[in-house]
Amino acid sequence: MTMLLGSLVLMVVFVVLVGLSHDLLYAAISLALASVMLSVVLFQFSANIAAVFELSVCAGLITVLFVSTVSLTKDSDQKTESKLPAWFLVPMLVVLAGGSYFLVEWLAKALPVLPAGQAAPVSFQEAFWGQRTTDVVGQVALILTGVFGILAILRAKVAGRHHE
Amino acid sequence: MSETAFALMFTGLLTFGLGVFLLLSYRNLLRIVLAVEVLAKGVTLVLLAAGVQREMLPLVQSLIVTFIIVETILAGVLLAIIVICQRTNGSLDVKLLSRLKG
Repeated sequence: MTMLLGSLVLMVVFVVLVGLSHDLLYAAISLALASVMLSVVLFQFSANIAAVFELSVCAGLITVLFVSTVSLTKDSDQKTESKLPAWFLVPMLVVLAGGSYFLVEWLAKALPVLPAGQAAPVSFQEAFWGQRTTDVVGQVALILTGVFGILAILRAKVAGRHHE
Repeated sequence: MSETAFALMFTGLLTFGLGVFLLLSYRNLLRIVLAVEVLAKGVTLVLLAAGVQREMLPLVQSLIVTFIIVETILAGVLLAIIVICQRTNGSLDVKLLSRLKG
């Protein structure tokens, strides 16, 4: 429990640092560290596959994509961004913590108590390949949508330039 | 609700709230993508809390994997739009996004 709470607190700290960092690269690194903390939490619940996905894709791939975009766009508006949200972030954190606490308290009382684990699958493999087979089709469709979407967005601009 | 599920749900909602605050606060498109990623971390934690509460972690784990894929595709497409927006407008201000034409 101590390690879980420590990981969760560190994750919130890194999320706050995302908002406080003036430099986008530091913000991206803070987000990657928050992803690492989330994957530590997932490992603690033996959700190993989700943890590895979180670590490799969210902490790795998305950070690389983000840093590449920062260098491609040369970070043009970074210095003109208002510092006001960063000042409000810590008071907002306190307000949100209070709101979240009361919301979870209310949810714990309001939600009906259901018998736990009645139809719980034995393993991740059974759940993923047995019960959620259609999710795999959806994931493939999503990946194709993303690939073709990015290609279409970037190609449209190049075609527009040739046209001009 | 167990203490573990309570802690996970609380942190998930807190992270989600912080993500919404960041999303509404900043005008820089890159920071908005960061805020969307923060939101996604909160959603992942809430999903995990639901799995812990109902003792259905394998099923929730498969949902988390699907959600991570959704999150990655979303980030990729958003970042591509940002690159085009910067080349078109020379700025990453979200208010200039409407200048993009199909």
